[in-house]
Amino acid sequence: MDKLKLRQVCFLFAAVLPLTKLFIYPSTLAYYAKNDLLLSCALNYLLEGAVVALVLWLASRTRCTLFELFKNTFGRTAAKVLYLLLAAFLLFSALLPMLEQKNFVMQVLYENVPSLLSFAPFFAVSCFACTKGLKTLGRIADAALPVFAAAFPALILLALPHADFATLAPAGAAGAKGIFTGSLFGLPWFCECLYPLLLLGHFEYEKGGVWKGTLAFAAGAGAVLLLLAVFYGIFEELAVLTQYPLAHIAKYTTVFTTLGRADFLFLFAMALLYIFALCVPLQLSVHCVRQAFPRLLPVIPAAAESLALLVLAIVLNYSFNAVQTFAMRYTPPLIVAFCYLLPLAALFLRRTPKEPAAKKQPPEERRARRKAPRPAHARRARKSRRAKREGT
Amino acid sequence: MNKFWTWVFLAAAGALVLLFFSNDFGLIDIQKTAIVAAIGIDASAEAEGEWSVTAQIAVPDANAEKASNVSIPSAKTVGAGIAEVNRKTGWYPTLVHCRLILLGDEAAEKDVFEALGYFLRSEFVEDSCLIAVCDGRAQDLLGASSPVGELTATAIAKVLSSEAQKTGLVCVTNLRDFAKGYYSRAQSGYLPYLSRLPEAEGSGGQGGQSGQSAEQGAKGGGAGGSADVFDASRTMLFYKGVRAAVLEPAETLAYNLAETSTDFAFGEVRAEEDGEEATFGLKMKITKKARALTLEGGVPVCSFRIRANAQIADASAAATLGEVARKAIVPEKVLRAAEEEFKARLASVLQKCAESGCDLFGLKQALARAYPKEYPAYEATLLADTRAAYDIRFSTLH
Repeated sequence: MDKLKLRQVCFLFAAVLPLTKLFIYPSTLAYYAKNDLLLSCALNYLLEGAVVALVLWLASRTRCTLFELFKNTFGRTAAKVLYLLLAAFLLFSALLPMLEQKNFVMQVLYENVPSLLSFAPFFAVSCFACTKGLKTLGRIADAALPVFAAAFPALILLALPHADFATLAPAGAAGAKGIFTGSLFGLPWFCECLYPLLLLGHFEYEKGGVWKGTLAFAAGAGAVLLLLAVFYGIFEELAVLTQYPLAHIAKYTTVFTTLGRADFLFLFAMALLYIFALCVPLQLSVHCVRQAFPRLLPVIPAAAESLALLVLAIVLNYSFNAVQTFAMRYTPPLIVAFCYLLPLAALFLRRTPKEPAAKKQPPEERRARRKAPRPAHARRARKSRRAKREGT
Repeated sequence: MNKFWTWVFLAAAGALVLLFFSNDFGLIDIQKTAIVAAIGIDASAEAEGEWSVTAQIAVPDANAEKASNVSIPSAKTVGAGIAEVNRKTGWYPTLVHCRLILLGDEAAEKDVFEALGYFLRSEFVEDSCLIAVCDGRAQDLLGASSPVGELTATAIAKVLSSEAQKTGLVCVTNLRDFAKGYYSRAQSGYLPYLSRLPEAEGSGGQGGQSGQSAEQGAKGGGAGGSADVFDASRTMLFYKGVRAAVLEPAETLAYNLAETSTDFAFGEVRAEEDGEEATFGLKMKITKKARALTLEGGVPVCSFRIRANAQIADASAAATLGEVARKAIVPEKVLRAAEEEFKARLASVLQKCAESGCDLFGLKQALARAYPKEYPAYEATLLADTRAAYDIRFSTLH
């Protein structure tokens, strides 16, 4: 069974999902929102947090999966089509973070520009993770939390003495236009509110799950906001030039002058976690395909998606800026539809099957009925029939 | 057994991941790579508007690290100059280890960010690398011999270390901070102003090693056992990337005590002792420093609030044994003289800032943050109109 614990979902919110916002997003946001980047990001988080809380509330009301909700409302075929659309969207949403990670590894962790082959092992990892189903998401979350809890605060603590938080003042200097543009163009990094919807029915809801999940999400949001504040406090106007802030914020500390870039230890840990964070949309995408085609072996969609990303990574090797610009300018309507409107619409989907149970029973009920003990008169009649057969 | 193979698998995966993320295990062919330790930038003497670029390249040797300077006399951009190093020497210059950017003083006559833009664009140059301006040509200074038997760049970096900053004698800055100032509202910044003092005669540094150039070569001094020492006690102020003024050593110290991370310093104070003027060397520990900009009756007021503890380190007049023993106790008149001296130096720094347009204390930024609505009205004349208020107290042990 692909059942996660609520704890694992919370860890996912707190320690895995924030990672996608720690690489290119801060400098992009600084470009549009300048010193108001915190306001811009907080606006995105408020929207996303509201969606997450609503989906968790929905989870408290039903044990159905999203596929079952679709099926109950629109029928099986429509549900399959919707799930295939979701799979395509999730694959697409993984493209920008994957290219970010590729550039991060190739620019920050190598002295000279290496070949794309250096990043190729990622696709094998993602393929393997995708074949293992949703259960691995929980394991990833369990493993990620302690690593995140150690590495992220260490990087922040090394950076804090160099941050001047006065640079964030005065609030609103970028104007409403700057703040809202930052929020709008930041949407490609805020697709995660779709994930709990796809996990609906795949995790064991517990009492107080809405609060626990929302608080975990808020903790992840707090970590991102803290990083943004420290990042802008250190680089100020130069923030727009500084991609991959995690790699730069801690390097000014004099603590490790003789040791060299000791902050890279924590950076490696974060980069490792980022790989798993990248696998999440891909795993969910494969999950959607398998829901649509239950008899399909998981390795087929997993390999196909990883291969598709590999091909895109090769084709778009030198086109990151074009991809980023495209994602920021043209995909927000798509993101709003899939990640914000769809979870809201899910609240109104039918939670029970359309047809009465007497007319056509679902396979689970049929199986349960077969296993149930037969009434006494039926048992006697069956016994006499068998005795008669054996006698003839 | 299963557990054993799990651990073997985990260990192998860990090793692979380390290889995946780091090329530190990869060998760098040092025969083909020029490890640039410092870059010197001068205004070209050959063509107006062009740059002369000098790369100090570390040459690993079995006995010691040596340096070789490669100079490109004229290039339209700094990037072109560095590429020219590759073409002339056949070495691929790697700037990852570049820890110093040195500007000649002629280069500072025009916007230095015409040259420094290359380093901001390059993802291979650390923005934490030190930056300084020098008296004369950077090419010559990089050709100077080091008194400590290392690369000239390393010797200069020692003068500009964070430890030097803590003593207050040098205003150290790096590329990031200098660029932040330039792109801020203030459009101002400062660089330590290096000069070469050929004083360490016969001190036996490895003179000549770093002075020998591979190509055109730097005309470094320092052959024949003499060595140069570097002084960075002066500070050059910049406005809009162009040289604006120079702070003298005493002003540099005052600025450091009031504004930067300097907490311990040594300074000299003149005071009367038994009817005669004497010079006291004071060790100072700054216990509190704060600066605030306020608008008082429509006048911008910059308030400095500084608290320091002092003790006598030396004096020009002979002292009794009791006075030497009581070194921690500084006479009141010396403390007051120190306060006055500090105020005078700080006022002199502010005066230079007002005259040159260099917003060294970030007054524009402070005003824009605290009074965003009033800022436009004051922006143009802020430096000239600002009144300074000093609340400086030196104390001693009692």
